[in-house]
Amino acid sequence: MTIVGERFRRTDGEPKARGEAIFGVDYLPQGTIHAVLLRSPVPSGRIVGLDVSAAKAMPGVRAVISAADVPDTRAGWVLREQPLFARDRVRYEGEPVAGIAADTLEQAREARDTIRLEIEETPAVVDLDYALSEDSPVLHPEWESYVPTLGEYPRGRNVAAECISDPEGVEEAFEAAERIIEDEYRVQRQYQAYIEPKGAVAIYQGGRYEVHTAHQFPFNVRDRIAQYLDIRPSQVRVIGHTIGGGFGAKLDASIEPHACALSRAAGGLPVKIVNTRTEDMITCPSREDAITRIRTGLDKDGNMIARELVVIAGNGAYSGEMPWLASIALHCARGVYRAGPTRVKSFLVYTNTAPTGAFRGVNGVYLYHAVERHMDHIASVLGRDRREYRLQHLFEPGEVLLNDQVLDDAGILGEAFDAVEEAAPWEERLAATAGPMKGVAIGAAWWVTNPMPGTATVKLNEDGTIGVITAATDNGSGAVNLGITQIVAEKLGVQPEDVYVTMPDTDAAGFDAGSQGSRTTRIVGKAASIASDEVIGKIKQTASELLEAAPSDIVIADGKVFVAGSPDSGLTLGDVAMAATWSVGPIQGTGSFLTPFPDFNPGCATGLMFPSFPTPTYHVHLAEVEVDPVTGAVKVTRYVVAQEVGKVISPNGVYGQVSGGVTQGIGYALYESLRIGEDGRYQERNLENYRLPLAVDIPRVEFSPLEHPDPDGPFGAKGVGENSVLLGAAVIANAVVDAIGVPIDRLPITPEVVLKAIAAKHSAAVA
Amino acid sequence: MSSGISFAVNGRGVTAQIDGAATLLDVIRNDLGLTGTKEGCTEGECGACTVLIDGKPVHSCIYPAVSVDGHSVVTIEGISDGETGRAVQEAFWDAGGIQCGFCTPGFIVTVAALLENNPAPSEDEVRIALAGNICRCTGYSQILDAVEVVVSGKERA
Ligand code: FES
Ligand code: FES
Repeated sequence: MTIVGERFRRTDGEPKARGEAIFGVDYLPQGTIHAVLLRSPVPSGRIVGLDVSAAKAMPGVRAVISAADVPDTRAGWVLREQPLFARDRVRYEGEPVAGIAADTLEQAREARDTIRLEIEETPAVVDLDYALSEDSPVLHPEWESYVPTLGEYPRGRNVAAECISDPEGVEEAFEAAERIIEDEYRVQRQYQAYIEPKGAVAIYQGGRYEVHTAHQFPFNVRDRIAQYLDIRPSQVRVIGHTIGGGFGAKLDASIEPHACALSRAAGGLPVKIVNTRTEDMITCPSREDAITRIRTGLDKDGNMIARELVVIAGNGAYSGEMPWLASIALHCARGVYRAGPTRVKSFLVYTNTAPTGAFRGVNGVYLYHAVERHMDHIASVLGRDRREYRLQHLFEPGEVLLNDQVLDDAGILGEAFDAVEEAAPWEERLAATAGPMKGVAIGAAWWVTNPMPGTATVKLNEDGTIGVITAATDNGSGAVNLGITQIVAEKLGVQPEDVYVTMPDTDAAGFDAGSQGSRTTRIVGKAASIASDEVIGKIKQTASELLEAAPSDIVIADGKVFVAGSPDSGLTLGDVAMAATWSVGPIQGTGSFLTPFPDFNPGCATGLMFPSFPTPTYHVHLAEVEVDPVTGAVKVTRYVVAQEVGKVISPNGVYGQVSGGVTQGIGYALYESLRIGEDGRYQERNLENYRLPLAVDIPRVEFSPLEHPDPDGPFGAKGVGENSVLLGAAVIANAVVDAIGVPIDRLPITPEVVLKAIAAKHSAAVA
Repeated sequence: MSSGISFAVNGRGVTAQIDGAATLLDVIRNDLGLTGTKEGCTEGECGACTVLIDGKPVHSCIYPAVSVDGHSVVTIEGISDGETGRAVQEAFWDAGGIQCGFCTPGFIVTVAALLENNPAPSEDEVRIALAGNICRCTGYSQILDAVEVVVSGKERA
């Protein structure tokens, strides 16, 4: 292979480096007018008055709309519960109440200021335990009338979804235990904080909506707009633009449906909406806040023989895709360690806060944080070495999981521990961090590669270059501009710079399930690989006639087509393309692909919406930290990753994903805090107080890729992009605890948290 | 209140009639149509809007446009006119220092300014110089690699 596995430059890199790339927020067609949303200033209340008449009379105003002007529908990915504009109740701060479009942004803002909105505030439900209790107000009194989009699932009152697995033998195992170790961990929300805020342009024309947005999942936007506006999906065309980051937050529609409704109300003028940073932050589908309660029973030798995990996670006011993810707790309840019979209860609860959503490593980051913190706690109680205790309980090849999924390849975990051991020998690192205020920790994980479907059409252009038509999106990861590009280039014997991949367009390309769960390189790469095979067959057929040889003797390499053994007497790909075009017709092929879910036992749990983990990958991370006892600041001094990738398609791309994901994990562990106040409002409201990791904070990540090619993946590829975020909170928290000798059971571990823990230790020592 | 200002952008003279409240970023993106400079936060925090004023990097989203009167501004579009700027652009692309690319113009402008003043910074100096620029995608490693490539004048292994 000459292209796959080699270091290439991403095909969209030059315009990005030169400032020529047009991102979603840069897109501005002729005649565009600008819109803003009036959003609820309070987290919970009844709308008792809304008067937009003054706004309509303001200069430059083209349209003012609210619930009264749009179909009385509810929309949602998993549950149809959310109105386009709040109708009589507001359920979170920032919920859209009205939309205003005007010739200029300033005019739209000035008009918004004249709208009289009267809300009778009602107490906000904020605390997760309280939301679950019978005493709390119900956010959606009409919840039973909401229509699920993919079949009914367990929900009720303030429970947006639940997944419960309570197999036989758990109680008995706990009763037989010599001792029981219990922990509770609490985590805040995390904001995806892509640098390009959300924005969109919508144009209503000829009875259809054309939507321009920089989005991870254009087909999802199409479907959501159709739900809100009560039209069929094909009346919406979504065209993708260069994306300034997403990390899961740009998987569902946000302001696109509002822009559509405003364009229609403004007579079809293009309407542009761009979030301000504060708007973006307080309404973003952030990573959910959660409480995790974990218990383990130990036998007299210290072996884990019983486990219980209870998770209560914040759904916010509406569900998005969250119900689908509640069952991930079942797949991560033991991490990658045997723990005996296991009970799992996962509750997703409504609160009067912005709807939460997908963020890289959905649910996994705080589940692994809980499991791995708990493992260190158990090892310390037993006086056992933390690494050795993990290895003793590590999943083995053929491991049967709680849902009866079988992990034939779980032996890769052992290899990953070995790879980290080679880079950073445990005994040596223990010695190196033995001094005060230094710490080290290790942890492990497994994860899914998103299996959802995708498709690609590959065509041979008449000049011998290759076109790929797909709705796959490159959110920055390189999955399209390195991954799919290198796969197609390898297949067809051309250079990556001669492969042109279209931007997504829901009219032009088949369904694609979006850039999520590391699926694009694997799923769409495979679809493009299948399509390339069809193209190869047609090239060989045409060339065999031109070269008077059997198709099986035709070789395609380096842009040439020749008879095996005589590379100098061949044709160019362009010659073949032209010949085919004017004889049998243009050469192109199509491919589609998805990964089936591995077998599982549907009776193992209720609410098992994410039933098993297709194309699993395995991960071991090690972190070292230094704590400043005066300031409380934690410095990550070393970070080592061993990760199963299937096959490295693009070394630049893979390392970039690992480094970026680890950095988001470090941010989650140490800095990033999106706290919900008692009043239901976020306390951090801009990037000044929402602290993101900077270049001064992050060590260079040491990385060992492990390659066990997957027979179904393109050249063996599995998912790579998402996973590196999974263990940052786990290993950094454990390393900090190792450094200061005091447990810390919440995230993020800010300097204040560290100082408080150190002070508590000292006062305990004095007392 | 509007006032007239004259300044240079990427080596060309510009006179503009601007609103007193306008930021330099407004003028660059909206009046001059130079959209390579990005708007990420409008709070002076992310660095996506970084441009050079008389060779020094500033966050143009919080810089009053009136203050640029009589000065010289270089944006990402003008960076490739200089040898250092071109080398930095090339190195970012080559080393994988670009993912989504939204932060990239700000980083490249900042690095080009750093290397004009200090052609051989240590890695710590580079990290500190980048403290006003946030990249959410890369984790900074390949950005540091890119700077190293320019400093050493060598291809990355
Ligand atoms: S846009 Fe200026 S610092 Fe973010
Ligand atoms: S490359 Fe996306 S923010 Fe830096």
